[in-house]
Amino acid sequence: MLKTGARLVALSLGLSMALATAVLPGAHASSSGASGSGVIGLPAHPALRASAAWAPQPEKRIVRLGATQSMDSMNPFLAVRLISTSIHRWTYGYLTVPDSKTLKPSPDLAESWKTSPDKLTWTFTIRAGATWSDGKPVTAGDAAWTFNKIMTDDAAKTANGPAVENFDTVTAPDDRTLVIKTKKPQASMLELPIPIVPKHVWEGVPDIGTFENETYPAVGSGPYIAVEHSKNNYVKLKANPSYWRGAPAIDELHVVFYENPEAANAGLKKGDVDWIGRLAPPQFQALAGDPNLVQWNTPGRRASYLQFNPGAETAGGEPIGDGHPALKDARVRRAIHHAIDKKALVEQVQNGLAVPADGSIIPPMYQEFFWRAEGDKAVTFDPAEANRLLDEAGYAKGADGIRTMPGGGRKLEMRFSIHTEDPVEDKLAQFLTGWLRDVGIQITTRKLDSNKFTEETGGTALYDIAISGWSVNPDPEEILATHLCSRRPTASGEGGGTESFFCDDKFEKLYQEQLAELDRAKRVDLIKQMQERLYTEAPVIALYYPNNLEGYRKDRIASITPIPEDKGILYGGSGYWPVYSLRAVERPAAPAGEDSGNGVVLAVTAVAAVVAVAGILLLVRRRRTTADDRE
Amino acid sequence: MSTSPAELTKAPPKDDRGGARRSLARYALVKLGGALLGIGLVVVATFFLFRLIPGDPTIAYTRDVPVTPEQLALLRRQMGLDRPLGEQFLDFVLRTLRLDLGTSYEYRRPVAELIGERVGPTLLLVGTGLAVAVGLGMWQGTRAAWRHGGRFDRFSTGTALTLWSVPTFWLGLLLLMVFAAGMGPIPGLFPTRGMEDVDAPDGPLYLLHVAHHLVLPCLTLVAVVYAQYLLVMRSSLLDEIGQDYVTTARAKGLRDDDVRRRHAVPNALLPTVTLVFMQIGFVVGGAVSVEFVYSWPGLGLLFVEAIRGPDYAVMQGTFMLVCVAVIVMNTLADVVYHVLDPRVRSA
Repeated sequence: MLKTGARLVALSLGLSMALATAVLPGAHASSSGASGSGVIGLPAHPALRASAAWAPQPEKRIVRLGATQSMDSMNPFLAVRLISTSIHRWTYGYLTVPDSKTLKPSPDLAESWKTSPDKLTWTFTIRAGATWSDGKPVTAGDAAWTFNKIMTDDAAKTANGPAVENFDTVTAPDDRTLVIKTKKPQASMLELPIPIVPKHVWEGVPDIGTFENETYPAVGSGPYIAVEHSKNNYVKLKANPSYWRGAPAIDELHVVFYENPEAANAGLKKGDVDWIGRLAPPQFQALAGDPNLVQWNTPGRRASYLQFNPGAETAGGEPIGDGHPALKDARVRRAIHHAIDKKALVEQVQNGLAVPADGSIIPPMYQEFFWRAEGDKAVTFDPAEANRLLDEAGYAKGADGIRTMPGGGRKLEMRFSIHTEDPVEDKLAQFLTGWLRDVGIQITTRKLDSNKFTEETGGTALYDIAISGWSVNPDPEEILATHLCSRRPTASGEGGGTESFFCDDKFEKLYQEQLAELDRAKRVDLIKQMQERLYTEAPVIALYYPNNLEGYRKDRIASITPIPEDKGILYGGSGYWPVYSLRAVERPAAPAGEDSGNGVVLAVTAVAAVVAVAGILLLVRRRRTTADDRE
Repeated sequence: MSTSPAELTKAPPKDDRGGARRSLARYALVKLGGALLGIGLVVVATFFLFRLIPGDPTIAYTRDVPVTPEQLALLRRQMGLDRPLGEQFLDFVLRTLRLDLGTSYEYRRPVAELIGERVGPTLLLVGTGLAVAVGLGMWQGTRAAWRHGGRFDRFSTGTALTLWSVPTFWLGLLLLMVFAAGMGPIPGLFPTRGMEDVDAPDGPLYLLHVAHHLVLPCLTLVAVVYAQYLLVMRSSLLDEIGQDYVTTARAKGLRDDDVRRRHAVPNALLPTVTLVFMQIGFVVGGAVSVEFVYSWPGLGLLFVEAIRGPDYAVMQGTFMLVCVAVIVMNTLADVVYHVLDPRVRSA
């Protein structure tokens, strides 16, 4: 009896599987990415698709972006994650937007602007004809309300408080004129990272700090309108038909969240998503060889560098921390620079997908601002030169090959602080240890969790050498500001936001000059001088600029314009050009319910199979029970 | 049919039922007291544990953002870190009693609300996974023990042990690569992420949609946890098989199936029941890697994100929740065991 039951079960399972395969013969061709947006995401059978060709009609043009992060908040006053600020850039207008070719500020909601002779008053003319997605006109009053809210409401300061710190007053004398008075001249006024929100919607919000802004469709003035948000799952955006530049060429942009980058990669290969960005070198390499995919490898906006403890002091000038005294000597820092083979690091640590740094902390992607060390100024990989510099400065080598401070005493034994559980930094540390040992400096690696790391390298200065890195915005002012005297912490180790505890009169003077310099060319020159100062004084050493690595499906996306246009970034850059310029591959529509039909058939088959198996088991049991009863 | 020695000892004399019920009530009360005490200790431990973590949370939160000391002071005031430790502790306890777990720094929303949002998906995943794992484990364990040493025994025990030793993350990723993305001739049949897609259907089809998303995460969870049910069931049934009452039942000429199903298995079930309850508590936290691999929007993922932040309020909240779940489930296990096994009652 039992055997018969088992056979029946096996038979029904086999039948159901065969049935499922018969229903889904096209499943084997799944990597063609023809999955569409079917109910259960099952690929459609090519034959079925072909049969639909007799009545071709345009399908909804949808592009799906896979993001390895989820939204922290839909409220632009609170959101700080990259994915959230990106989505806000696509759904809200800003005063200006980086030009798609040059990255220089170009008109957005502000049509034009002028500054007063004292450089303290900025008058913006708000675009005529721009409307909110609910039909109301965008006015200077909306912008003034947005800025004033951030200036006066502590909760509204969360995301963009620092950007308005230098603002004195913001007023709107009429619907098209916005006047911002600043306390000091501010060259970065055309790069304000602040989305303008509609006053008529937001003034009714009682508490910005707890407002989730999840009433859909959300009212915005950007190229897309947020129409749906499933927390931790996705955000659905629709093209804004009344966008002042004209509606985007696709109908919908779906942003789906992957927690795990490997799964996002798999999703791209399979066709669950059409585009993913911010890939690590191994993930990027894993996309190679797939004819449906475009591997997008362009210069990145990030710099990876070492930060030294150059004799850390508080903002008040009192020494803090326990940095190695030798690092106060710029010659030692330069010698370390000579001891590092950046080409080898790029090859070994970044799988060749980065550019060795021959400049400062602003990556070459920003061609206008990038400063390259050339000729005698360039510090090359030259251990002999490093040894010579150290010998000359009086750091003599001991019997063990480790140098000591001039006049004997403390050995050049230093700590190298990296983050726990980061294989890339681990590998980097191994290389550095060997190279520095060759020039007589012994380093030991310390792994710190990110919290402790931030505290020690930015607040209490309990480190010698540490790993660091920064993504740079089109205006590099903020990254340069992290090396100002004023950014050093208070005596209790608080505040600031220094990257190096650097405090240098010349650097400081250049910074103040560029801040007040509204002539673009002159300002660019000042910023290059600042980079040169950083390079020669070496409170930080740029190691390499990691490439921007992305991938997208060419069977789904016809074209994207990167920013900047020639060889730029698709996802994660500034502005909305890439998502605005997206064009989907035109495909004939599937008859309604075709994809879902397949999914449902499979599901129904599966359920039927389970029910059948359960029924057979029950039957077998019942028959056996009756047999027992007969006994 | 009801003459086996085990059944005799199981049924208490009728006149003692009231007493048994009273003793059960007393027993449950004692256990409940212990559980409450445990939860209290968890609350205390949570407060101090998260203050022992090196580093100032305000500095960690504002990393990469230039802030003035005034802004830091404001943040510290908002987070209540400017007050004396005793006062902070009292406030923490009082708030926890009101189920106010604080506000997440990253999401700017109450932690209780964030947890509430994530409990559903986790319960769905862990609940289904556990049900399948228990069913499969017990069934295989029973069969393996009944014919121990046989091919089925060797095969199923070997498979289960192998799967148990495999890292969850790795297995999850492997299944994802093979059955979600598709590999070679194997089609990618399942979604690569999450619980629902953007165009999820409404109504009953939505259930199918979620079920489709649930298959791989659930399979991974089952593969990793079912071994323990199999092993416990197998070993406890092996113990029973050696008992006299089983021999008696066989000697009466009962069918092998009946001896197994009606005599041996019910008695062998007890340790498995305890294990099930204890596991529920742990698995809530243990689904972390499965949720991470499949981007399943549950509590495990919330915890991972909080660690990355670091978002202390969320870490504290989820930590307490898992601890409380373990305590509650342990207590329930004790009480259920007490009801099921007369030997515990008389002891």
